[in-house]
Amino acid sequence: MNFDLSDDQRDAAAGAREFFTGSVPLSAARAALEGEGPPAPGRKALADIGFLGITVPESAGGAGGSVLDLAVVAEQAGAVLAGPSLVTAARAAVLLEGAPDLAAQLADGSAAIAVLDGPVTGSAPSLDAADATLFLGLDGGALVVGEGEVTPGRPMDATRGLASVRMTSRRVLAEDAGELWARARQVGAVVMAAEDLGAADRAVLVGVDYAQQRQAFGRVIGSYQAVKHMLVDAWVGVDQLRSLVWWAAWAADSSPAELPLAAAAAKAYAAEVAERATETVVQVHGGIGFTWEHDAHLYWRRAKVDRLLLGDAAEHLDAVARLAVAGALG
Amino acid sequence: MDFDDTPEEASFRAHVRSVLEEHASELLHVAPGEPVDARSREAELRDTQRVLAEAGLVGVTWPREYGGQGGTLVQQAIVGQELGRARVPTLINHIGIGMCGPTVIAHGSDDQRSRYLARLLRADDVWCQLFSEPGSGSDLAALRTSAVRDGEDWVVNGQKVWTTLAHVADFGILLTRTDPSRPKHAGLTMFVVDMHAPGVTVRPLRQMSGGADFNEVFFDDVRIPDSERLGEPGEGWRVALTTLMNERVAIGGAGSDIGPSPESLTAHARDRLPALSPEQQVLARQAVGRALVASLATRYTGYRRFTTLSQGGVPGPEASAGKLGGTAAARLVTDAGVRLLGDEAVLGATADGDDTWQRAQAYVPGIAIAGGTDQVLRNILGERVLGLPPEPRTDKSAPFSSGGRR
Repeated sequence: MNFDLSDDQRDAAAGAREFFTGSVPLSAARAALEGEGPPAPGRKALADIGFLGITVPESAGGAGGSVLDLAVVAEQAGAVLAGPSLVTAARAAVLLEGAPDLAAQLADGSAAIAVLDGPVTGSAPSLDAADATLFLGLDGGALVVGEGEVTPGRPMDATRGLASVRMTSRRVLAEDAGELWARARQVGAVVMAAEDLGAADRAVLVGVDYAQQRQAFGRVIGSYQAVKHMLVDAWVGVDQLRSLVWWAAWAADSSPAELPLAAAAAKAYAAEVAERATETVVQVHGGIGFTWEHDAHLYWRRAKVDRLLLGDAAEHLDAVARLAVAGALG
Repeated sequence: MDFDDTPEEASFRAHVRSVLEEHASELLHVAPGEPVDARSREAELRDTQRVLAEAGLVGVTWPREYGGQGGTLVQQAIVGQELGRARVPTLINHIGIGMCGPTVIAHGSDDQRSRYLARLLRADDVWCQLFSEPGSGSDLAALRTSAVRDGEDWVVNGQKVWTTLAHVADFGILLTRTDPSRPKHAGLTMFVVDMHAPGVTVRPLRQMSGGADFNEVFFDDVRIPDSERLGEPGEGWRVALTTLMNERVAIGGAGSDIGPSPESLTAHARDRLPALSPEQQVLARQAVGRALVASLATRYTGYRRFTTLSQGGVPGPEASAGKLGGTAAARLVTDAGVRLLGDEAVLGATADGDDTWQRAQAYVPGIAIAGGTDQVLRNILGERVLGLPPEPRTDKSAPFSSGGRR
């Protein structure tokens, strides 16, 4: 058994960490929230460094990498609340398997593509739709692509580029695309779990750092079990989530039969872990953690939004149970 | 990344499987999750371990010179997985193999090693670990059981508690206080004690699950020859740390489930879901899904630790997270298992007379205590992994006899 990243994947993670920490200050998430700018680093920067095309085939101008390759990068993106989301790239790459020209435009950033959830005549809030110009949707079982009218609303987490869309033109890319659509959504769920892993991990570190500095009643607060145990529980969740994310990403690449269950497990657990970690970092900071000025709520917002996107925990827990009872777990 | 054995691991696993098949008729087998009472099945359990020992599957990581196989922690884990797969219950001498034996190897005399170790592996002698006391569970170094030198012997008085297997044990490793004038960690000494010696009284404690896996043990003027000392007088804490480190290896696990497996919950759900109302089914599926996710998260985290072992690493303090996660998962799995029974569960036994899930549920609170409470494990993780400041330990340097005050 070798349930660990390869050296190449570790290097990729380190490189991604350097890129994201260098190009995405947390002030960008705050500026987006206050309507003063788009999410950072933005579509072009992600395309230029090759992250939008990690899972796009080399023949279509991508890197031909695995979902696991993408997941380790997505974790680093999540740590700084980067946008647009690599979930959109991952999901679109699956949907565009039969449309290499569009896949190439996805990879090089020349097309701003978003994937719509819900009816194409008035979609549910969809990731990265706010500044997209081309939309992929499921319309009566067919995969369609086209333009649309965008209604952004006032997002809880502005780094997600959420908007509702009414498609104004539609071209069928594939008939009978239900299975392809489902697989793309599962891959998207895995990558979202990876982004949540990064965000939750960073939140715990921020909380630990503060608990090592802040004093109360003559002692550093991290020495009190009430604080220490809260942080440990959050950390254990993050450690375990990392295992599920790796498993689900591996399943996407190497064991398609396991993907539906693994993706649902990772997504459900990510929702729980990210919520607990970000609630914890707010609580550890006390009153300061509840202020607009502190960064804690930027992570908290991400967790509160992600738990509802691509299916909430209730949907995914139910899916895990149904799939397991149907024999997916042996 | 893969979940396959390396060629060496695969060939070792095949070897283990063939040994288990070859000796199948001589081994005790039990249903998944079935509790095994050590006293009523003592003879079968001892026989099973002897057969496995003779086939080279006991003490895999022990040095060859002491009857072990000189193998790796990965091989040990593979044996554990295959025994589970073959539904052979936990070895009766698991505490002896995992904790007592390694302590004797590290700190015992040549004479002690030659007298004890081979017999321990064959379950000719069953061992227990006499550490916890009524007044010192997690705060182990606060123990009070005394050993006073008298000629060539030591005379022991006091009480131990939560001693797993004491009711069938032949020997134990016993931590005592020999110098109360020194700080609590410095005045301790470890011995091998004959559990059949005059003055040793064992009283099983019935636990909330109804079973009795552990005991109170009373020592009334029990004489232990000085030749049965493990390590130097006053060095007992250092010796005990060897035991506790081995306990972490034994409990931290490498991908094995604590309590009923996700697969057994799934099979149970398959049987029981159709009998529930539609509303109950929704809730039960939520509970099953949540439990499976927690179990799988723990299992795959165990696979990461297994990989570390496989690459020659040793379990660090982060291994404590395995028990914490496993306990949490066991709680959810057994809760879901009972929920699937609907209100039949409250009668203790279902129409077919099976109360496996209720008993498993009542066992979980004990799992959350044994081998380090959830709170102690959180302290370990918080301090050694997250680098948070330690709990205050005001009695650390005060003489024990001062009651912890300077």
